[in-house]
Amino acid sequence: MDWIIFFWVVLKSILFSTGGFGPLPSLHADFIAHGWASEKQFTEALAIGQITPGPNGLWVVSLCYLVAGLPGAVLACIALLLPPLLILIVQRVHARIAHHPATQGLLDGVVLVIVSFSVIVLTGMFRSNGVDIGMVVIAVISAGLAITRCLSANTILVFAALVGLIVG
Amino acid sequence: MIDQHEFKARNHTSPTVSDSITINRLFLAWLRIGFTSFGGGAITQYLIQESFIYKHKWITAEEYANIIAMCQIAPGINIIAYTILIGKRLAGSLGIFVSLMGLILPSAAITIGISAIYTSISDVSRVQSSLRSVFAAIFGIALATNWRNARPIFVSNRKRGSLAFLATLGIMIGSAIIYIFLNPPVVVLYLLGGICGALIYWYVAKKDQED
Repeated sequence: MDWIIFFWVVLKSILFSTGGFGPLPSLHADFIAHGWASEKQFTEALAIGQITPGPNGLWVVSLCYLVAGLPGAVLACIALLLPPLLILIVQRVHARIAHHPATQGLLDGVVLVIVSFSVIVLTGMFRSNGVDIGMVVIAVISAGLAITRCLSANTILVFAALVGLIVG
Repeated sequence: MIDQHEFKARNHTSPTVSDSITINRLFLAWLRIGFTSFGGGAITQYLIQESFIYKHKWITAEEYANIIAMCQIAPGINIIAYTILIGKRLAGSLGIFVSLMGLILPSAAITIGISAIYTSISDVSRVQSSLRSVFAAIFGIALATNWRNARPIFVSNRKRGSLAFLATLGIMIGSAIIYIFLNPPVVVLYLLGGICGALIYWYVAKKDQED
């Protein structure tokens, strides 16, 4: 494993995205292309990342641990911490650019592309996870509960895990 | 080394009586959040508000709202950017460092620990089945999250007019088609999407001013 390329791939995915799931499309494309990770490792890392404390984006640490051990996880932590430091520069120019229409347009444009890619990548991973009626029901109910905010994400995941344990 | 008095001085703008800040207290406040924020970003944000605004009163709700707004235009995980700005606001560069370490060290250590445990029991069929169900739930939650990210953009662009609304649809569908059929580097499409968005919003705003 070339650690410099590995670090750059992880850093790049975080640098050009926002939010916890934002790095997914870029990481998925690069990790699969380099043969570093399988679809299954992505689904495992996303699942582990959601049941551990801290920001959602820590699933990246889990993925890097699964594919590259402790050095991979440490590099992922560093890669997660560096891009948000740019907020210190943003803070200096924020007052000047925040209300410019192009700033909002730039952000919205990137968000729309990320949303589009995330849905494509997640759907592919869902299919490779093995689609059956049970999984579809869990996904639909979870989406409904998350949108209506009837239950916290944590509770939904605990229920899903219990269903898997009992049925499996 | 910045001393405790300096931290108090930096906190003079808070309108209510706040707990005095020391580096140790700041680190412990973040450490507590790092250890207990099971449930992802929403829970982490809730605990940050609880600790920094309501319990210690180190920052005001208005300051926090400003921090959230500013972090929307920073790359990476928003909560890490919040942590950086709150740490800086309370104790300068050292504050940034201890805040990041306090939040990330326990969270990352637990994530690595659970990943390590998982690799040793991943062959157990019930564990596989459970994780498969969790991923199905995550798929549903992630679709909801993405919908919630895109929805405000669609709503505001419908108000901006048909050009902005069609452009919103065009960026999403166009990038999906290019991604599926041409498979270019993802970052290139992020940049393209961002540039398209910037140009369209600028054009629409200019046109509105002229009208």
